[in-house]
Amino acid sequence: MQLSIRELAKRYKTGDGVSGINIEIEKGELVTLLGPSGCGKTTVLRSIGGFLEPDSGDILIEGQSVIQLPPEKRPTSMVFQSYNLWSHMSVYDNLAFGLKIRKMPKAEIRAAVDEALKLVRLSGFEKKYPAELSGGQQQRVALARSLLLKPAVLLLDEPFSALDAKLRHEMREELREIQMKTGLTMVFVTHDQEEALSLSDRIIVMNHGRIEQIAKPQEIYDAPASLYVASFIGKMNFLEGVAEEGSIRIGKLRLPNDKDLRGRITAAVRPEDVQLGEQIVGDNILPGKIKQVMILGHYAEVTVELAEFGIIRAFQSKEVVQHMQSGQEVGVCISKAAGFPVEQAKAI
Amino acid sequence: MSTKTAINPRGKGASRTMSKEFKQSILGLAMVLPSFAILLIVVIIPIVQSFVMSLSNGEGGYDLSRYAYLFTDKGMRSNIIFTLRITAITCVLVLLVSYSLAIYMRFNQGPVVDLIRKTYMIPLFIPGVIATYGLINLLGNHGWMARMLEVIGVELPRIIFDEKGIIIANLWFNIPFTTMLLSSALSAIPSSVIESAKDVGVGRFTLFTKFILPLSYKTFMVAVTFVFMGVIGSFTAPFLIGANSPQMLGVSMQQVFSVFQEREQAAAIAFFSFLLCSVLGAFYIRSMTVEEKGKV
Repeated sequence: MQLSIRELAKRYKTGDGVSGINIEIEKGELVTLLGPSGCGKTTVLRSIGGFLEPDSGDILIEGQSVIQLPPEKRPTSMVFQSYNLWSHMSVYDNLAFGLKIRKMPKAEIRAAVDEALKLVRLSGFEKKYPAELSGGQQQRVALARSLLLKPAVLLLDEPFSALDAKLRHEMREELREIQMKTGLTMVFVTHDQEEALSLSDRIIVMNHGRIEQIAKPQEIYDAPASLYVASFIGKMNFLEGVAEEGSIRIGKLRLPNDKDLRGRITAAVRPEDVQLGEQIVGDNILPGKIKQVMILGHYAEVTVELAEFGIIRAFQSKEVVQHMQSGQEVGVCISKAAGFPVEQAKAI
Repeated sequence: MSTKTAINPRGKGASRTMSKEFKQSILGLAMVLPSFAILLIVVIIPIVQSFVMSLSNGEGGYDLSRYAYLFTDKGMRSNIIFTLRITAITCVLVLLVSYSLAIYMRFNQGPVVDLIRKTYMIPLFIPGVIATYGLINLLGNHGWMARMLEVIGVELPRIIFDEKGIIIANLWFNIPFTTMLLSSALSAIPSSVIESAKDVGVGRFTLFTKFILPLSYKTFMVAVTFVFMGVIGSFTAPFLIGANSPQMLGVSMQQVFSVFQEREQAAAIAFFSFLLCSVLGAFYIRSMTVEEKGKV
């Protein structure tokens, strides 16, 4: 394992913190810590980097415990949210500084810096100062600075959050490309689920200082381990139902009871798993009335008010919603739902 | 007709803009004028007058004999060297202590930091004469310290009426303000910059020389300038606790002016002190300009 985190715990005076954190990351993996503000993702990242002293637990990099080492002695490098370029140094000096400390010969430093700048598409920017660069360029320099140190694990603390949406998207693609080229192990922190889904080999969803789920992006989306994960990733409808042997009952609907649940449950239904039709009466149909049809480019989001279950949202193709309008009565079918004990809804 | 209507409004607009700009210029000048007038009356005119007076040779002519005296007279020469030595030692010690305090407060937490934070400004609120009197009582030949050390059989070395006394007084007067300046400069350096330096493997010494010092350089220069100018022109402490010879330039000037009644020579000392400060001022402005160019 490239990075192992074992039973990591850190409690702040405010009562926030993390506990029971166990993570194993393979060499060359890009793993994202995802969660809302205050969930503990940055605490875990800063503990790996050595900027925070955990109360207990251990962190191993390439099999060696680094828990006692200060940041400058750890085989990690961090790309910070606010770039943190050194304003009094040129781009070249920002990049070369870490290598000079490592006493690398000048010619090799020059070659390494040139290559790093080429990698982040900033060749020719050596003499510029951070104040002369745009946000995206500054973040690329920060990334190059970390890459140059060839860390065993590269830590990225919401590196693109200060950039605009278009640039963020571009940087995401660039980072993935660089990661593929260099084969670096990366731990990426974000609260942006789209960023996490598009970038990661695996996602670690955190909530209230604990890990909710560790899985591949598609698995997180398709099979959320908890109601919290279901609510945090993508759009989701929640309907009250009853779980019986073999099936989950939501009004007249019957869905498979994969987890063999019993009693009152909350069913999580993706909008793309909701179908709308003109037939409003039937065994597996819930009657409803269209409240709103929103065309969102190549698809439409239709909001339907169900008689017994409140609002449900469905993603439909533009062709399907062509003749739909507000107030129209429709029949709602659900092809897939994930059931969770109703207590989980209270805990969110 | 149509041409007229097309041109006239533009012409009017332009003249309106001109008059607005003109008014703004007048307002700007009016705002600057009072401070410039004060500068002129309080600083520039006295300097010019002193310079002109210092050139007078007392025989109706004008030459540089007063300045030549500063360097040829043994007593005056030692006064200049003494003043420069006291100033240099004070600057080094003040910056050393203040930087240490500021760094300690910036990167540490706890009761000691709280105590320093609450107390380091106290000397600023004690008038100079009273503080000097306190130092005489504490460190004088028959002061508290001497009496306490006598109990254990240790003789206190001469501090008061010696350069050591002047330096201690200078530290008392200058450390609080310098620490305050440097603390504010250090708190303006984001923790994340320090963290990113540590992240690339920077140790403590390099962190100070390559990051903390360059990033607080401007304030450092302001502090050096303030301490240098304050000490070189100081009078109260050197007058009260300095030795009879050599003397600081301020005390020497007062003696030449009041005791020997040589106004022209006193003017030469004053102008020479001003020149010493100007050298540092020029160096300060130059280094600020160089840094600004480097940044953007």
